[in-house]
Amino acid sequence: MREHDKERVLVEVAHRVFDHYTKDPRTTERALFDTLYEERIRLETENDRSKAKKQAAFYRKIRREALQASPTRQAELLKQVIEAFAEEVAGHFDPRVFALATRVAPPALSALLNALSPLRLLAAIPTGMATLDDQIVIEGETEAFKAAARMGTTVLVSTHLSNLDSIILGYALYRLGLPPYTYGAGLNLFSNKMIGFFMHNLGAYKVDRQKNAEVYKHVLKTYAGCTMELGYHNMFFPGGTRSRSGAVEKKLKMGLLGMGLDAYVHNLCNKKPRPDVFVVPCTLNYQLVLEAETLIGDYLQAVGKSRYIIEDDEFSKPKRVVDFVSKLFSLDSRIHMVLSKPLDVFGNEVDEQGNSLDHRGRIVDRTRYVFQNGAPAFDAQRDQEYTRELARTISNAFHRDTMIKPTHLVAYSILDWLWGRCPGMDFYRVLRTGGPEESVPMTEAYSRVDRILGTLRNLEQGNRLRLDDSLRRKDTGAIVADALAHLKSYHRRPALVRRGDRLFHVDRNLLLYYHNRLTGFGLPTWEKPQ
Amino acid sequence: MKKQRNLDVLIVGGGSFGTALATLLAGTGKAFEMWVRREELAEEINTRHTNSRYASGHTLSEGIRATTNLAAAVKRAPVILMAVPSKSFREVARAVGDSIQGDQILVHTTKGFEIETFKRMSVILREETCTLKTGVFSGPNLAGEIMAGHPAGATVASHYDEVIHAIQDLFLGSGRIRVYGGHDVVGTEVGSAFKNIIALAAGVSDGMGFGNNTKSLLLTRGLSEMARVGVALGADVFTFGGLTGVGDLMCTCASPLSRNHQVGERLAKGETLDDVLNSMTQVAEGVPTTKAMQRYADSVGLDLPIVRAVHRLLFEDWKVADALVQLMHLPVGDELATLRYR
Repeated sequence: MREHDKERVLVEVAHRVFDHYTKDPRTTERALFDTLYEERIRLETENDRSKAKKQAAFYRKIRREALQASPTRQAELLKQVIEAFAEEVAGHFDPRVFALATRVAPPALSALLNALSPLRLLAAIPTGMATLDDQIVIEGETEAFKAAARMGTTVLVSTHLSNLDSIILGYALYRLGLPPYTYGAGLNLFSNKMIGFFMHNLGAYKVDRQKNAEVYKHVLKTYAGCTMELGYHNMFFPGGTRSRSGAVEKKLKMGLLGMGLDAYVHNLCNKKPRPDVFVVPCTLNYQLVLEAETLIGDYLQAVGKSRYIIEDDEFSKPKRVVDFVSKLFSLDSRIHMVLSKPLDVFGNEVDEQGNSLDHRGRIVDRTRYVFQNGAPAFDAQRDQEYTRELARTISNAFHRDTMIKPTHLVAYSILDWLWGRCPGMDFYRVLRTGGPEESVPMTEAYSRVDRILGTLRNLEQGNRLRLDDSLRRKDTGAIVADALAHLKSYHRRPALVRRGDRLFHVDRNLLLYYHNRLTGFGLPTWEKPQ
Repeated sequence: MKKQRNLDVLIVGGGSFGTALATLLAGTGKAFEMWVRREELAEEINTRHTNSRYASGHTLSEGIRATTNLAAAVKRAPVILMAVPSKSFREVARAVGDSIQGDQILVHTTKGFEIETFKRMSVILREETCTLKTGVFSGPNLAGEIMAGHPAGATVASHYDEVIHAIQDLFLGSGRIRVYGGHDVVGTEVGSAFKNIIALAAGVSDGMGFGNNTKSLLLTRGLSEMARVGVALGADVFTFGGLTGVGDLMCTCASPLSRNHQVGERLAKGETLDDVLNSMTQVAEGVPTTKAMQRYADSVGLDLPIVRAVHRLLFEDWKVADALVQLMHLPVGDELATLRYR
C-alpha cells in the first residue's frame, strides 16, 4: 500500500466506524461500555503481561472518565478506542518494506521452501519434482482471474483447510503475476518469526481473534472495505476459519463478504472510474492436511461436547510452519489451486470483458442492482440479501471446483462401509471402538471404492465437482495404494493400514476427516449413526 | 410515436387472476398495464372492456389497458407482477428476462411447481432473469370474488423488504385487499401450490356427497402434509398457519368456484380426467402439482398419504372408493408427530 493511502485508510476507517456508532447516544454508550467490558475480559487471559498492563491502563482511564461523561464526551472516548483499534490493525504496515517484499519475498519463499525439503527425499523425488512450481498446480479460470484483476478490484475468496493456505495463495498470486493481496492474518501468524516476515510484508493486516468487541470487528471489516475502495485486491477465507470437519464450506461469514458490495456502492456513489469489485472463489486441495488430527479432534469436541472422550491429550499441536512445509513437500503429492469464474458482488458470473452475465448468458447492467430512484444508494436490508446471494454462489463454486483426491475417496468408502456394519450404534462409539469389524477385506474395499468412484465420475461429468487426475485414469488398485501410501506416511497414526488382504482402520477420526471432504455432494450413504 | 408514460406496475398475464389484479389496481389510481399474449384479447380488453374467456360476465374498468409488446412494457415498469400458469411460466419469465434490469422488482402469483423439475417459481425467476428482487404474492384469492369486489387478504413474501413494501404500497389504495408481508418465500410457494392437491381431494369428498366432517379431516391432515413437505424444503412451519397455508386451503377447499375443486368433484361423479380437463378453459394447477409432488415425495422418502391417494385417482386409474378405503385404514399415530419431530 502506498504511504498516503495508508493514512487515508486509517482516517476513513475511524471516521466510518465512529459514524456508525454515534447515530444516537444510546448506541454510542452501549458500544463504548461493551467494548471496555470485552477488552477487560480479554486482558485477563492475555499472555503478554506487560502489553496487557499497558492496555488495561488505557482502558481504565477511559472507563473512569466515561462513567460520568456527557454523551458528546462519550463519543470522543469511543473515538479514541476506535482509533487505537484501527492503528493496531493497519499500523505495522511499512510501505517501503512492502514494495521491497513484493519483488523479493516470493522468490525467497520459493528458495526457502525448497531448501527445507530433506535432502534424502529430494534425491528420491524424480527430477523436476522438487521445485515449488511443480508442487503447486494452478488451474481453472486463471485468465479470467487475471482479466478481472486488470479491470477492477478483485477479492479472492478461498476454501480453508490449513495455515499453509495463505502462503500458498500468496505464492500462487506471485506466480500469476499479480501484486500481493491485502489479507487479514491472525496475530499468531505474525508472532511466528519466519512466516511473520512474509505476513507483515505481503499486504497483511492484523487480526486479533481474541478481541471479541463488536466495534473491533467493525473496524476490521471497514478496513478491508476501504482498501477495496482504493483498488487494493483483497483475499480472505469466507468460512472464517479452517474447516474443522474437513468438509467444504457451506456456511459463509457475511460480514467481510458484504464489504465488496459496500465498496462497490461507495465507488459508484463517488463516480470512481474503475468502480468494479469482482469476487473470485478458489479452492485449495490437498491429499493430506497438515493439521488434520488437531482439526478433527477440535471438531468432535465441539460437536459432541462431553460425549466425546478424549483418549489422548497428546494431539500434536500445530507444529511450526517449517515443520508443515518440509513434511508436506516430502510427499509426492501436488497441491491444486482451482480458480472459479469471477463473480460480481451480486453473484453473477463475469466474462473476460468484464460483463456480468445472467444464467442465460445475457449481459446484465450490474450498476442497476443498487439503483434507487435513478441513483446508486445503500439499503442495508437489500445489501444483506445480495450478499447472501453471493455467498450461495460462492459456496456452490467451492463445491463445483473442489478437487477430490484418492485419500478422500478411500476414507469415504471405508467409513461408509464401517457405518453400514454398525447399525444403531452411537456415532462416537463407532469412532472410538470401530465397531465389531476391525478390518475390511480388500476385495470389499475395492468394490466399494469402485462403486463410489463411478458415482464421482458421473458427478464430474455433471460439473458438480472435480476429480484429481489419478481418479480419472488410474485403476482402483492403484488409487487405493496411493491413498494408503499417503495416509500412513505423514500422520502420527495411519488412518488405514493394509495387512495381507485386509485393510485395518486404525485412526477413525482421521478417516472421518478425509471422508468429510465428500459430504455435501449428495453421495449415496448409509444412515449415519446419531 | 408519442412517448409513453412510465408505469407503476405491469401485470404479465391476461388470465383470470391477472384480470383480478388489474381490477384491484384500477381502484388505486396506479398507472399500470396488462401484458397479454394474444392480440385479440388485448383488443377486447382495450375496446370492449371485457375478458370473455377468463372473466366472463364482468365488465372491466376502462382504466385497464392491455398490450402485447412485452419488451417495451417491461422497460417501463419498476414493478412487474407475473400471473401466468406454471406450464408457461419459464417461457414467459425468460422473455421478461430479456428486458428486465436489476433494480426492477419481479413478483409472481403462480400457485404451482414446474412439473419436470419440481422447481419453485421463484427459482425459475432466478434462473431466467437477472433480477434478485423477486417475491411471491399469494393467498385465499378466488379471482371471481375479487372481481365481485369482496374484501380479501393476501401475503407477499420476499427476502427483500423493498419488494414487500413496494407490493403493499401498490394495493394500499384499493381498500379491498389487505396485503401482509413475510420473508418465507419457500413456505408461501409450497403452501400455495400444495393446497391445490387438497382442493382436488376436497372436491372428491363433495362429489361423493360427504359432509363437513370429512372435509375437515381432509383439510387438517392435508395441512399436516403441506407442513411436512414445506419443512423438508426449508420453510418455516408457522407460515402454514397463515393466509397462504391454512387460509388458502380453507378457501379453495370450500369453494365450488375453485377449479381444482371442480376437477375432484367431477372425478368423484365418474367422469374421466381427460374429459374433465378437456372441458375446462382454465388450468387446474392441482393436476400437474400432484404429479410433481408425488415424484418428489418418492425421491426423498416423504410419506404423504393424501397426495398419494389423489395421485392414484388422477394417474393410476384407482376408483374413489378404493382410495378412500385405503386412506381410512392407514395406521394412526400421534396427530402432531410429524410436526413435532421436524
